[in-house]
Order: sequence, then structure tokens, then C-alpha cells
Amino acid sequence: MKVHIDEVNCSGHGRCAKYAPNVFRLNDEDGYNADRGQTIEVPAGEEANAKLGVKSCPERAITIVED
Amino acid sequence: MNDGESRNDTYPRATREEMIERFGRDLVNDFDLDDPRFNDQFNETLNYMVRKCPVAHSQVGRGYYVLTTQDDVRAAAQNWKTFSAAKGYMPNRPDGIPYLIPEESDPPLHTRWRHKLNPHLSPKVCAAMDQPVRNDVNELIDRFIEKGECEFISEFGALLPGWAFFKNVLGVPLEDLPALVNGVEEGTFAPDLDERARHFSGVFDYLEKHLKWRSTQPARGDLIDTILAGVTYDDGTEAPWEHKVSVLVDLTFGGIATTTFVMASALHHLATHRDQLQLLLDDPSLIENAVEEYARYFPPVVALGRTTTCDVEVAGTQIKEGEFVMLGYAYASRDPRHMDEPEKIDVRRQGIPHSTFGVGPHRCIGSNLARVELRATLEEWLKRIPDFHVKEGTAPTYVTGYLRSMRSLHLVW
Ligand code: HEM
Ligand code: SF4
Repeated sequence: MKVHIDEVNCSGHGRCAKYAPNVFRLNDEDGYNADRGQTIEVPAGEEANAKLGVKSCPERAITIVED
Repeated sequence: MNDGESRNDTYPRATREEMIERFGRDLVNDFDLDDPRFNDQFNETLNYMVRKCPVAHSQVGRGYYVLTTQDDVRAAAQNWKTFSAAKGYMPNRPDGIPYLIPEESDPPLHTRWRHKLNPHLSPKVCAAMDQPVRNDVNELIDRFIEKGECEFISEFGALLPGWAFFKNVLGVPLEDLPALVNGVEEGTFAPDLDERARHFSGVFDYLEKHLKWRSTQPARGDLIDTILAGVTYDDGTEAPWEHKVSVLVDLTFGGIATTTFVMASALHHLATHRDQLQLLLDDPSLIENAVEEYARYFPPVVALGRTTTCDVEVAGTQIKEGEFVMLGYAYASRDPRHMDEPEKIDVRRQGIPHSTFGVGPHRCIGSNLARVELRATLEEWLKRIPDFHVKEGTAPTYVTGYLRSMRSLHLVW
């Protein structure tokens, strides 16, 4: 599974990393998603958490690009 | 399935007769955030409008629109070029108050300031405030626990956010807190607009003095020093003094005016819903999630405004350039197109895409601190006062406009 984090629309709610800490990382300095603008691989077994993170993002800034 | 995806639920649009019968006015064409009936029928009105009135219009003063669905609120909040914050967030803004930064500004100026300010309120920095905030929670509880009762707002709710912000972020003396809290509260809810402006200027004066004093002191490397250092705007100019003052005012408004409502509402809900209370007592690890659910359902920010920079259509309504449009954050957090049974409060609800802290570039900069305060309050309270009730013969009282606030809550144990 792969997810893309929108560069512009991520505004630092931090919900993604709360629900899926092994998938999404926050930038230590500003608290926004550390992989903004990137497509990242979801580690095996973390798919359900990743989906919860996607769903919890108030900006809809994360999209599943490959299930 | 509470899958968070857009669903096809459609609802018939509101009819005039139905609205007049249920709410005493035509919410679509003649809405008023300050109507006492909106305060009294708050939840009922939100639940109705999010389904049946995607766009409401108010004729009060210069008039304003309110957007209610989650998709429309999100789209407008993210589209700052069309929905500009630079003309203010308050409907019928009183004359003579300087614009607040970052709240009442657009990128790129807004972005410059947020880049500098964000690190002072990041999740990591706020996590370090957890223990001091917990100590404050316990110190406040110590004051009244033996009494077996308290008026929660004045004895706890109105104090903790101020303490957390003043001690950990601002560094101003605690004895100045009551006057500032009152200034912000009256500046928001006073029925008379001139009176609102007067209260706001009192807050400005106080904070400007504090900033001036700090500029004569050795640097501490804190948020105040970051504000004093300022930013360079895209045209090469340095942020003027007035901008620095307005940044401090904006942070203070946010820091003391909102969190109270969520904590008070959460405790009121737990006092009146034993099943939910039991869930949290049995498994305190649920509290972090409960904070999200309470923030979702008890939003202190009902709606904040933007000004359109061109003609635009929202849900079939034509909105002209230069109109004031409010983003109905409180509505969007209970949109049935995006969650199951939105009017049900369940501390176990998973994946809650609420907009209580706003959406788009203006996302609440204090959201990480607010979460620390709310979690510490619920965890420590339930440890020390696990069994509590609303005092017989009393009920909480509220005041509502574009913000919502609880005025009193009597608890006994
Ligand atoms: C439960 C508590 C809180 C709630 C519900 C809340 C809500 C909000 C909302 C909805 C916005 C978005 C404004 C917009 O879109 O125009 C916002 C912005 C803001 N909040 Fe909060 N807030 C809370 C606590 C705090 C705290 C504790 C602080 C200060 C430490 C704070 C400071 C601010 C500031 C400075 C902004 C403006 C950000 C910007 O425009 O970039 N808030 N808040
Ligand atoms: S939840 Fe969304 S907005 Fe928040 S940090 Fe994650 S991606 Fe960004």
C-alpha cells in the first residue's frame, strides 16, 4: 500500500501520526507531516492504521495511491 | 460504516414553514448567530442546518453567509485566494480594532509568521508542558475537592487555560489573568458593538505594554522573543511594531477563550452519562480519543469568517465578491455525510475528522496545547473525582454568537 501526502493541504493537525505512528511521521520542528509532497510505502501489517490516519485527517491531505 | 468518505446521503432542503415552526425564523434567509434561540436550541439548529441548509444568509448589520457542510467548509477554508482572511474573522467587525495576525492575514504574510510561531507550539514542545499543566490541574482541584462541590467555570475552567498559557508560553503575572479573560469574553459577547471594541482595546493595551517591557529585557529564546524578532515580508520590509502586538493579542485570545468550553462540556456530559463515564474509568487510555470526540461535539468556535475576493458559487448559492462568508466549523464536525450518527457522543468513535480546530492554513496553532490541557484535565479529574453529578436544581448556562461559551456549571461529589 502507498499513500501520498499533499504538500499544500497538510496543515499540521497531527492526527495521521496519532493513529498510525508507524506510518506517518511529524516534523519535530513544526509538527506538520514530515513527508509532505511525497508518496510513501505503508509497512506490511500497518494498512488498517494507515487507513484510520487517512480518514482522521481534517484536510483530506492524504490519499491512498495504491491499495 | 463510519468510513469518513463522502456518502450519498441527501436531505431535502429546508422549507420556510418548517424553520419558522421549529426555530422561530427562516434560517436560510434570515439567520442570526446572536439570536437567543440559537443559543437555546444550539444542537438542534446545527443538526438541522448541516442537513438542510448548506448555505444560510444573515441580514444582521452588513450581512453574512454561513457555510455548513464539511465539504464546502473544507474547500472554502483551503481556498484562501477566494476566501480571504485579511478583512477579519468576526461578522460585523467593530470599527477601530487592528487586524490580528496570523488569524486575519493571508499567505504569504501569514506563512512567514506561522513558520516562526509553529515551533513554539508544536506537538513536541507541548508534550513537555504536560507535567506542568497536570500540576496546575491538581492545584486547582486541591482548592475545592474537600468542599464536595464547585462552580466549574469560575473555579477551574476559566483558570486552567490561562494558567497553562501564561505560565508556559507568555510568562505574564497570573494576577492579571482575570481582567484579560473578562476583556476577551466581553469583547466577544457584549451585546453592544462599541462595548466589544472597548474591551478589545483594553486587551491590546495590556499586551503591548508587556511586549514593550520584554523588549528591554535580556532575551529568553521564548515565543515572545520570536515575536519581537519579527519576520521579513516578501517585499523585503520588516514586520512593523503593530504587527508584533497583534500577533501577541491573537495568541492570547486563542489561548484563553476557547478550551474552557470543551473541558466544561466534557465533564457535564460525563456527569450526565454514566455509561460513558464508566468506559473512561475502566480504561483511561480511551481519554485521548474522548478528547477528540468532545472537541468534535462541543466546539467553542461556531464559525469564523472570510471575505470573498471574486464572485463564487457554493451549493447553488451565488455569492458576490466582497461578501462576508462564515466557515461553519461547528456544523462541519457533525456532517452525517461523513460519519455515522453524528449527534451521538461516543468516546470510542474512531477516526474523527472534525474541524473544531479549523481547516486550511489557519488551523489552530494552539491545538496541540489545547489537547494537552484537555487530556490532563480529564485524566486527573477522573482519578481524583471519579463520581460526580450536576448539582440538583441547576443546569449549565450558555452564551452563543460566532463563539460558544459556558457561563456556569455546578458540580457535586
Ligand atoms: C479547544 C481549544 C481551541 C479551539 C477549539 C480553537 C479553535 C480555533 C480555530 C477554529 C481556529 C481557526 C481559525 C480560522 O480558520 O479562521 C483557530 C486559530 C487559532 N488559534 Fe485556536 N483554538 C483553541 C485553542 C487555542 C489555544 C490554546 C491557542 C493559543 C495557544 C490558540 C490560538 C490560535 C491562533 C493564534 C489562531 C490563528 C491561527 C492562524 O490564523 O494561522 N487556540 N483556533
Ligand atoms: S492529519 Fe493531515 S493535516 Fe494533519 S499532519 Fe497529518 S497529513 Fe497533515
